[in-house]
Amino acid sequence: MSEFVFNRRDFLKLVGVGVAGAAAGCAKPPADKLIPYLVAPEDILPGVPYWYASTCRECPAGCGVLIKAREGRVIKIEGQPEHPLSHGGLCSRGQAALQGLYDPDRVRGPLVKESGAWKPLSWDDALKLAGEKLSAAAQSKQGVAIVTGHETASLAALAKSVAAAAGGSALAWEPFGHESLREANRRTFGQAQVPFHDFAKAGTTVTFGADFLETWLSPVRQARDYAAMRARHDGFVIAVEPRLSLTGANADQWVAVRPGGEMAVALGMARVILSGNLGPAVSEHAALLDAVSGFTPEVVERDTDVPADTLREMAQRFAKSRPSLAVAGGISTQSEHSVALIAAVNLLNYVAGNLGQTVRFDRTLNLDGLASFGDLQSLIHSMADGKVAVLITHGANPAYATPAWAGFGAALEKVPFRISLSSTLDETAAGTDLILPSLHAIESLGDAETARGVHALLQPAMQRVPAFDARPAGDTLLALAKAANLKGAWAADWTSHVKAQWKPLHQRLGAGRDFDTFWNDAIRNGGVWEDVAATPVRWTGTPAFATPQLKGAGDLALVLYASPNFYDGRGANKAWLQELPDPTSKAVWGTWAEIHPETAAKLGVANGDALKVETEAGSVNLPAYVYPGIRKDVVAIPLGQGHSAYGRYAKDRGVNALSLLSPAEDGASGALAYLSAKARVTKAAKAMDLVLAQPLKDQRDRELAQVIPVAALLAGTASQEGMKVEAGTGPGTPGTPPQLRPGLNTEPMKHGADYQTPAHAVTAYEPDEKVRTPRAIPVDSGSYKHAKHRWAMAIDLASCTGCSACVVACYAENNIPAVGPEMMKRGREMAWIRIERYEEKVAPGRHDVRHLPMMCQHCGDAPCETVCPVYATYHNPEGLNAQIYNRCVGTRYCSNNCPYKVRAFNWFDYSAPEKATFSFPEPLNWQLNPDVTVRSKGVMEKCTMCVQRILEGKGNAKDENRAVRDGEINTACAQSCPTQAIVFGDLMDPESRVSKASHGERRYWALNELNTKPGVTYLKKPVASETT
Amino acid sequence: MKKALLVLLIATTCAAATVAFTQSFTMQSGETRGPKQPINFPHNLHAGKLGINCLYCHYGAEKSPIANIPPVSTCMGCHKLAVTDRPEIQKLTGYFERGEQIPWVEVYRLPDYVKFNHKRHVRAGFACQQCHGPVQAMAVVYQYPPLKMGWCVTCHRQNLDNPDHPATMDCLVCHH
Repeated sequence: MSEFVFNRRDFLKLVGVGVAGAAAGCAKPPADKLIPYLVAPEDILPGVPYWYASTCRECPAGCGVLIKAREGRVIKIEGQPEHPLSHGGLCSRGQAALQGLYDPDRVRGPLVKESGAWKPLSWDDALKLAGEKLSAAAQSKQGVAIVTGHETASLAALAKSVAAAAGGSALAWEPFGHESLREANRRTFGQAQVPFHDFAKAGTTVTFGADFLETWLSPVRQARDYAAMRARHDGFVIAVEPRLSLTGANADQWVAVRPGGEMAVALGMARVILSGNLGPAVSEHAALLDAVSGFTPEVVERDTDVPADTLREMAQRFAKSRPSLAVAGGISTQSEHSVALIAAVNLLNYVAGNLGQTVRFDRTLNLDGLASFGDLQSLIHSMADGKVAVLITHGANPAYATPAWAGFGAALEKVPFRISLSSTLDETAAGTDLILPSLHAIESLGDAETARGVHALLQPAMQRVPAFDARPAGDTLLALAKAANLKGAWAADWTSHVKAQWKPLHQRLGAGRDFDTFWNDAIRNGGVWEDVAATPVRWTGTPAFATPQLKGAGDLALVLYASPNFYDGRGANKAWLQELPDPTSKAVWGTWAEIHPETAAKLGVANGDALKVETEAGSVNLPAYVYPGIRKDVVAIPLGQGHSAYGRYAKDRGVNALSLLSPAEDGASGALAYLSAKARVTKAAKAMDLVLAQPLKDQRDRELAQVIPVAALLAGTASQEGMKVEAGTGPGTPGTPPQLRPGLNTEPMKHGADYQTPAHAVTAYEPDEKVRTPRAIPVDSGSYKHAKHRWAMAIDLASCTGCSACVVACYAENNIPAVGPEMMKRGREMAWIRIERYEEKVAPGRHDVRHLPMMCQHCGDAPCETVCPVYATYHNPEGLNAQIYNRCVGTRYCSNNCPYKVRAFNWFDYSAPEKATFSFPEPLNWQLNPDVTVRSKGVMEKCTMCVQRILEGKGNAKDENRAVRDGEINTACAQSCPTQAIVFGDLMDPESRVSKASHGERRYWALNELNTKPGVTYLKKPVASETT
Repeated sequence: MKKALLVLLIATTCAAATVAFTQSFTMQSGETRGPKQPINFPHNLHAGKLGINCLYCHYGAEKSPIANIPPVSTCMGCHKLAVTDRPEIQKLTGYFERGEQIPWVEVYRLPDYVKFNHKRHVRAGFACQQCHGPVQAMAVVYQYPPLKMGWCVTCHRQNLDNPDHPATMDCLVCHH
């Protein structure tokens, strides 16, 4: 019998025809509809993005943003380069504002609570109901109280006048209101303000628990200045804190002070400077020296565990590298005596001559109108006493963000009628009777004076999301005032109210333009920036100094710190932020307790084991995160999780550690004391899982993140270091750093004379440098045939702070699904870029923590490309390592062969609405970028260097008949980076920033010994040597 | 046994394919090749007899990756006055007056993983008809090209060395 040859390929072909036939035989799916505009909006063209300047409202810093809208949908937020403070950067929380806008759990319309259940009602009925209650309260002279978040302009004025007309009061309150900072500055400098700290100018920066790269004051602006300081290579940062924060990890030296001992260290330094006459002459010298005379280095050592020698050395360095800068006032140090701590740091700045240099009262951050926690407590007492008849809340969530002892929740129940203007059903809104949902900041007009002279505007970048029947909060307040017949000259609507508020500004800054021109210009730029002169200040008084005493029976100090991802908790309802690994622990979707390895050993717990953290006020069960960057007598817990409401992503996730706090506040400023308790930590039976995106913080000698001594840089010998491959070195040669060893299997392929490039080979790249040894030049040479570009990146580890803004920017730009904790636990995260954290040495003194942004390296000789059986991944003529989703069959060979592990596989259908794994529930899917394919199950994906942006940029250049300009095309990660650590561009343009950086003396390539010829060049992090 | 199974498989496949082919043939032949639209808009009259430039209505084609479907107001620009007595025009006026968009049925559909840029092709000097066929002669617009990747690639390959607008064979240009 003849052999019937029927191989796999034939079989697949036949089956293919069969399937096609079957599919065609079925009824055709209904064709999609093309819905045109009825009347096309002027200047709006489908397919062309429009950008609107506005202001970020995710924290009080108020960075400038540009909001990108396509076909009327907002799809991306980027930093506004012209903004006087943020200069184009945007943090992870700002990037994630989009998920607040499209939050599927946003309130969909006015709601009234009837017998414990929410019932929708019309706006008219809702306003009528609220108006009646308000008018009754106003007539009976019972109290009306309005609580808003950080409002500094028109809405603050409106809230005040509505409250006044109703015979009540308005409070602008923020959990992180920095009351102590303002109070301490009032006491020492006579200015109850938050000064401008010039990190760029400072030689030595000492932070006493102020996390200035994470949440403290204006992190984006400060990070940018920090990078400018790092670029000089002569800056030195000292972190004085009991727990090494992300800011501390970026410092050069960690002084592991006893919790609460920061003040003594600051005064001890001041004493060294004063007694040694190391600073400039100050007229109050004798009085100040008298005030700090008790803080001798030895006493400080006894009280704070900071060695006397270290203290002297710090003081000398601080006084020598003028101007220097000391900052304090982070949430983790906010104790019963935080005013004293900040006053001590002010004194230190004063005696070192930094006042007016790095501490200036010019562009002061505007927290002036914020109520203190004490003010909120007075309101809580009135509420509890039944003196408040109607409470209106907007943009503030005190029910979550105040500890239980403050009694907000109980007092709220005593208020007869409660109205919330919240757009989400957060804890405070859940306790109200009526919700009149407000528009998200992206949808509404508004204004803010976030810093002195920064008159910022918010403009609606889209019409309101149709699913949510919300109104501008200002309009609702006006409608309430009118419905309640409150006396006053109420504006016709919110827009005219804001415009009226801007009339005085127009008179001052109009420069001859009529109001409409002035207004339109301001809207276009996102505001008006006014030059401000520094208010001259002098030393006005030395306050009493006192050290906080931590209360409770436990043996560990409880340190609560603000989460860089969630801020005060408002970020918790965004899946991107939940899935963003915490910059320090790399944990996701939960809360954890950080303890020192020795403490953990004593308790017999390992990473992820359950702990019970107990104080006098309560107890919580948490997984342990064993962290060498914390003192042995400290347990640290991040704030921001443990919501009991606030949408599906936040609710019942992690714990709210505020429940561990007993009544304590700073009497001087009325600030809540976060640092006030001792905790007993024991092993527990059960706690939530600890999901770590990067369990190991060890490089294992792979030298992925490299450093270089500053001395070598200054001496100009850096280029020799680690770049040359010396003769006689080879694999296995002892002592040869891995990146200098020639690869084992990197011989270029030898082709016979009759070899022809196969037809499928799109790759045009022919490397010049066919060597076995790792190369010493970036891949811009070699033949790309007629290609004009070699897209590449340079990443400066000197300025990468690990803040992870790039990660969220990438999620937003590239339609990356958030997969949830269960998937993360299995290592199935989809991020295209991650920040790897390597803890080389974490101990008090000179520590070494390195952050390495890792994404597809777009290798010139990519290991993934050779193993793909279907050519779904290949090298494009412009140097990009391409991934073609529709070709991909999901063998995952590429991912297995990628030495950088930067490929992500779609194990499930994250894009199919009918699946449980769907990652973009309506209307989150509105955010999807139409220029990027939404990947389906079984497809590999990875960083594309934002090829859609490259194509757009090249197209724009072609339209104008010119070459692409350097800096014109930018990736999402590089755009967002507050410190501009990532530079993107064309290596074939010798003048481009990326070319210059990639040929600089600090360059290196990750895993260079594999000879993959990456398109991503890293610049080594300069580290101050031990002796300087 | 194995062989019998195979024959059976081939036979069913062929049968299914035949059914599919004949069905698609009947659907695509004659005057009714295109889908029925809510308003019988005759391209052969507007673009053919009246000679209106394609870009007059689809003005996005040279400025945007997307060639827009004209807003209803563009139609009304002429039809406020022109031939208002025809029933199809009255349908149009009806939509406009009710403030309703016209639910045109999509003729050209690309999968989500294909990104086509109209602007680049129009600006490179390609006539609309090169891809869309003789629209000026179509009473009902139908899908003229096969819209398969091979069809795109054929043209791209021919223009690889086009001196002014060299085409690319890079997959990433359309698939990203």
